[in-house]
Parts: sequence; C-alpha cells; structure tokens
Amino acid sequence: MDNGNKHIGIGFRKDFAEEFLEKKILKPVFVEVAPENWMGIGGYWKNIFDKVAEQYPVYMHGLSLSIGSPDPIDWNFLRKVKNFLKTYDIKIYSEHLSYAKCDNAHLYDLLPVPFRWDAVHHVSKRIREVQDFLERKIAIENVSYYTPVAAEMTEAEFINAVVAEADCNLLLDVNNIYVNAFNHKYNAEKFLDQLPLDRVEYIHMAGHEQVEPDLIIDTHGEPIIIPVYELFEYTVNKLPKNVPVLLERDFNIPELAELQHEMSLMENICRRAWNHEYAVA
Amino acid sequence: MNTQLHEYTRNQQSSLANYVRTGTLNNVEGLTENRVHYYRKLVHNVLNDSLQSAFPITYDLLEEDEWYDLVEKFFRYHDCQSNEIWKMPYEFYQFTISNENNLIMKYPHLNDLLLLEWTEIEVYMMENKPPHKFNIEGDLLNDVLVLNPEFNIIKLKYPVHIKGSREINKDDLGNYFVLIYREPKTFRVQFVNLSVYFAWLIARLLEESKPLIDIYEAAEETFRVDKSILEKNSYQFITDMINNKFILGFKNDNNSK
Ligand SMILES: [Fe+2]
Repeated sequence: MDNGNKHIGIGFRKDFAEEFLEKKILKPVFVEVAPENWMGIGGYWKNIFDKVAEQYPVYMHGLSLSIGSPDPIDWNFLRKVKNFLKTYDIKIYSEHLSYAKCDNAHLYDLLPVPFRWDAVHHVSKRIREVQDFLERKIAIENVSYYTPVAAEMTEAEFINAVVAEADCNLLLDVNNIYVNAFNHKYNAEKFLDQLPLDRVEYIHMAGHEQVEPDLIIDTHGEPIIIPVYELFEYTVNKLPKNVPVLLERDFNIPELAELQHEMSLMENICRRAWNHEYAVA
Repeated sequence: MNTQLHEYTRNQQSSLANYVRTGTLNNVEGLTENRVHYYRKLVHNVLNDSLQSAFPITYDLLEEDEWYDLVEKFFRYHDCQSNEIWKMPYEFYQFTISNENNLIMKYPHLNDLLLLEWTEIEVYMMENKPPHKFNIEGDLLNDVLVLNPEFNIIKLKYPVHIKGSREINKDDLGNYFVLIYREPKTFRVQFVNLSVYFAWLIARLLEESKPLIDIYEAAEETFRVDKSILEKNSYQFITDMINNKFILGFKNDNNSK
C-alpha cells in the first residue's frame, strides 16, 4: 500500500528531518515547507533542505505574507519568495486567508479577517497583485478561527467572494472546516457544498485539540480524528478533479510509522473516490 | 471598484491585533469574548518558545518573573519586523539592551550573554559563503592564509563564553574577544576565546591579504614585542585554527590558475 501512494504529502519538519531522510519510513509524494523557515539560510539546514528537494517535489505554504492585513504587502519578502520558487521549481505556493502582521508588527499567528465586503475587495486586489508579481496563481487557505470579527456575511460567502474576485485557487483545509463547524455550530458538509470546489488545487488534513466542551483549537498536534477522515471522504468525492493532499503535523510528533499510517488511510480514501485513475491505467 | 479597506474594518483588525499584543480589548464587534484569549495565549506560547530556545542561558539566568515580564514587554512595545521567526530573537536582544536598564543593572553581563547566544544562531544559520580558492599545502609564513568566511567576531565586556553566567561578577569586567565560526561539512558552530593580539591578527588576515611574515612585522610595532617571539607564540594558535578549519588553507600559485 505504501508504495502505491499517489496523492499524499507531508509537512516537512526539522523535528523529524534526519529520520525522514535516513529511514524512509514516510513515503510522501511531495513535501511542504514554509518559506520563512527555509529561505535565506545556509549550513546544516540548507544542506538538509537541498537533500529533501533533490528527492521530493516541494510545495510551499507561507506564514507571513499576511494577505488579509491592512498593512502594505512586503514586496521585498515576496521577491525572495519568487526566487525560491524558481530555484527549487516549486509548483504550489499557498498562503492563509488571514492576517499575521498589523500596525507594522508581525504577530506570528493567523488572525481572522472580518467577513466584510470591503475586506473582500481589499484582499482580492492584493491576491491579484501577488499573482501578477509571481506570474502564477496562488492557493488561498480557509483558516480556522475562534471568534468572528465584525462579520457582515458568512465565512462561506467570504471565501467564495475572495476566490472569485481574486481569481485564485483554493487550498481546502478539511480539518479547519471541521474545527470551524464545531466551534461556530454549523454543518460541515453543507458548508463544504457552498465552496467553489472547482477551484481547489490542494488539500490540508490535520489533527486538533478540544480545549473546552464547545471549543476546538487547531493545533496540528494530535492524530486526525475519524469525523475529519469522514469529512475528507465526503470532500474528495465532491471534487471535480484529483488534487494533492497534505498531512500537517507540527507538534507532538509521534513515531513516523504512525504518520505513515495516517497518510495511508488518506491515500485509501483518495483511491476509493478517484479510482477511475486506476481503471484507465 | 473601490478596493480601499474602510477605516472601520481597519480599526477592527487593529484592535484585535492590539489585544493579542497587549491584553487590552477595545470594542471588537461580534467577538466571542470567552474565546479571544486563546489567540493571545497561542501567540505568547509561540513567542516564548522561540525566545527560550534562542536564549537558553539567559532564560536560565533570569528569575521567572523577569523573563516573562521581558517577553511580555517586548511583544507589547516592540514592532517585530522579521518575517522569519528564527530572526526575531535578534530584535529581542536589541529591544532588551535599549530598554531594560534595570535588568542590565542587576545583570551587568546580560548584553554580552544575549549577544553571544544570538551570534551562535546567526552563524549557524547564515547563508553559505564560498571561501576564496585555496590549497591545503602551503607555506605558513610566506603564503597568504585563506580563512573560513562563515564566522563572526564579537567583543564582550564579560567572559560569558568561558564562565558560568551565575558566577560572573564585576571583577570579570574586561575586554574579551570571541571568534564564532561554522565548521565546513559538519556545520557545527565553534567558539574560540581570543586574546587582544589574536583578535588583531585575524583582523589583519582579513583586511590585508598579506602573509603572516608581513603581519608579524606590523605586530612588532603595534605590540612592541619582538617578531620572533610573536611568531613563536602564534604558531600553536595558527596550527589549531588550521586543524579546526577556521584557516582553510593557502593562497598560492598552484590554485591561482
Ligand atoms: Fe492548513
């Protein structure tokens, strides 16, 4: 089964870098990294990164572009991103539909953008500018949020409006949908049905932590739970095309075999949903 | 289409960001008040973890309250400019030495400690710098030496690089030089305590592409010590630096083609 992986990648972490390279327990079809952790460095980690990039396609998932911020876009940073994308021939660059910098200060976390029309126009214009600059489309990720801020529309309306107006791709984080549906009491499947699924370029899957009876925090520190696999299955069956899927595990890293098991479960789901690929082959 | 963000929306975003940094909540519309504190907690965990791992000795030296107060103030008053979180500790160091007079009174070697801990990260992470072409065979005295370019030399007032940070006191005040470099291949960061003379010697090697024989001559004038003595005293240091890969080799005819 492992060798049959065709869709599932892993978020590459320093925590398991050596074991990953040496033991080949994890068999991802690609790895994902944050440009902020791997760009503009040398020495030990650059050496590791180069080895990984030689062996696997690399996708990039940014943390600090802060596309939803009132602050201006950091073109200097983006110039470095553009070079990095070129140097390592990176096919997907995604960022969060949120803001991580405000009033000229980085916050190192993802804050929710108000679901408002002026924010839709503002964010979309910025995504377009970034896409023009990078000469490619980017994928924007639906984020988990713990409180609404000055909302005048629903989250689904907000995402739809941004993707349409920005003409960008969507990075669909299935766990984030589950987390938000739980925290804000809506139906995850119905929510998913409202999204522009034809724009999905990429999927994220992860675990989370329930901290209160009515609150889940998106920690990426636990195994994926069954209802999230179920929502994933629902999702991949609805998608008009096959897309790469990422397992995100940022904290509390278990034995790599455990991560590989999670990847295998996801691959099985993809196969069931997308088995026409194999029928034709 | 007007793509300007309205003042209202901008203020809402700013208020939330400000809350995360300061803990002061100013009317954010529609907020779930018993949840918003998670954002603040998450951000503080990220920041604190990253600073603790950057400055383990400083963290150990400061009282717990002092450390958390410092981290808290840093985030509240300082606008972090680094996209990369691994570079943020440099801003913390700068913030602390410019604003924390009371702490510095209590721990006079705090500046030096933060600088040493930051420089280790900086050297470990710095982009690769290809060295000048060199030969491993050469004449120690008459060939120009090629240095490993992945290094930094810092000047300290307290010997935080050779003495436990709790044992240091006012009597240790002096001039200390530390060479911090990254070994090729293993990428390990090495620390070398330098006398004033050796710090001067390395600076000459860097600035003036001259062989040691000329540098000893200049040293004789600067330090008013006979050059044969200087040469003798430097021999061990130079050989150590060759063995430890700070001096990589020699610039000589064989490789200047
Ligand atoms: Fe994600």
